[in-house]
Amino acid sequence: MSFKERFFLNFIKDERWHYLTDGLWVTLQVTFFAVLIGIAIGVIVAAIRSTHDKLIDKTRSPFAKLILKFFNTIANVYLTVIRGTPVTVQLMIAYYVIFVTSNNKVLVAVLAFGINSGAYVAEIVRSGIMSIDEGQTEAGRTLGLNYVQTMFYIVLPQAFKNVLPALANEFIVLLKETSVSGYVALQDLTRGGDIIRGRTYDAFFPLLAVAAIYLVMVIGFTKIVSLIERRLRKSER
Amino acid sequence: MNADVIIKTENLCKFYRGGDIKALNNVNAEIKKGEVVVVIGPSGSGKSTFLRSLNLLEIPSAGKILFDGVDITDKKVNINVHRQKMGMVFQQFNLFPHMTILKNLTLAPMKLLKKTKAEAEEQAMKLLDRVGLKDRADAYPSQLSGGQKQRVAIVRALCMNPDVMLFDEPTSALDPEMVGEVLDVMKSLADAGMTMVVVTHEMNFAKEVGTRVIFMDDGMIVEEGTPSDIFDNPQNERTKTFLEKVL
Repeated sequence: MSFKERFFLNFIKDERWHYLTDGLWVTLQVTFFAVLIGIAIGVIVAAIRSTHDKLIDKTRSPFAKLILKFFNTIANVYLTVIRGTPVTVQLMIAYYVIFVTSNNKVLVAVLAFGINSGAYVAEIVRSGIMSIDEGQTEAGRTLGLNYVQTMFYIVLPQAFKNVLPALANEFIVLLKETSVSGYVALQDLTRGGDIIRGRTYDAFFPLLAVAAIYLVMVIGFTKIVSLIERRLRKSER
Repeated sequence: MNADVIIKTENLCKFYRGGDIKALNNVNAEIKKGEVVVVIGPSGSGKSTFLRSLNLLEIPSAGKILFDGVDITDKKVNINVHRQKMGMVFQQFNLFPHMTILKNLTLAPMKLLKKTKAEAEEQAMKLLDRVGLKDRADAYPSQLSGGQKQRVAIVRALCMNPDVMLFDEPTSALDPEMVGEVLDVMKSLADAGMTMVVVTHEMNFAKEVGTRVIFMDDGMIVEEGTPSDIFDNPQNERTKTFLEKVL
């Protein structure tokens, strides 16, 4: 079979390209919403952990100490469990054990990947918070700003700038990790390519097409991130 | 309490390692309105710890701090309200690098004093003009020299209209040629009647601008008096030894 015939067989015949476009749409949805959930969880967990580390020796109220310890323990258990088990297993547990009554596979995948990503985002954000000089916090607090205001206006914006490359890396990893969605029979981009392979008994075309689509997405995303980075670096001239 | 006294510490202590290290050991001090109190002493004498305790950047292990008659070491006191009235200037400037100078100056007045942007900016520009940096309002801190940064840091504290200004070795991180410009700003502030507590190694500043000098060593106030008392006629042996080394 010629190159052209194989191309036709894999993508054009029976509108097989739909497996790729439909799969791409699923991959994009899962990644996008998982990133949002990951950021939300990550920032909250990082805030809990770094607040605990910064304030546990300084706070004068025993009640506040207890609350900090309580939430810090929950955050630590979450980080240990999520980072200690493979995302594929987590996804399968989510689908076959926890949300066994749900047939919305996209939603289950969004939750599973979002909760997984949150753990990594949390540690990235926390490292960013910890990288900001204590003098910044002191300057904010001596002006009379409270802890939350100091975090929000002074520490977090600087921390975000410092961790942007690491965050971008995490989102690239997340985008590619969604390729295990096939384990719960969710037809994402990878699964779509694999279905074509099953129909046509040709591995080369569908798999390379899938790889190329991931690559283009990652390159585009990297471009956007470097644009943001350049804008944020404005104050360092 | 005397109405003129703005800060009073009673048996202020700060211990580390469960009491093995006494950074502050029963410090009793009074700062009156309009005074320029200069705190001197060898490194490790507790002078910075003392200054940083006054606005609770360091939480004292024991003792009281009365600010305007209120015991701010009381756990029920909202320290943020009182900190607004105590400006602080750091050795390392600690300007916010992600904001322009103008934003550095207007952040706290807008968030805490509920000033409008226009009001806050007007006041900031007026004060910037006084330290000769009006034309740098839109610059970022990284574009300023050390001396300029410290002058901005002083203005940032002034924008909150504080009752007292705390200076923690404000010229120690500066190149020698920039020390003068910062001291000049501090001197004009003192001349305008601002209450100031200054931890410094600049003995000439202490002599010229200080109304009172406190000499600390080993976490205690060893000797205090007018600049001429301390510099020309020190009584304590440790004060004499220290002054011989630095003068």
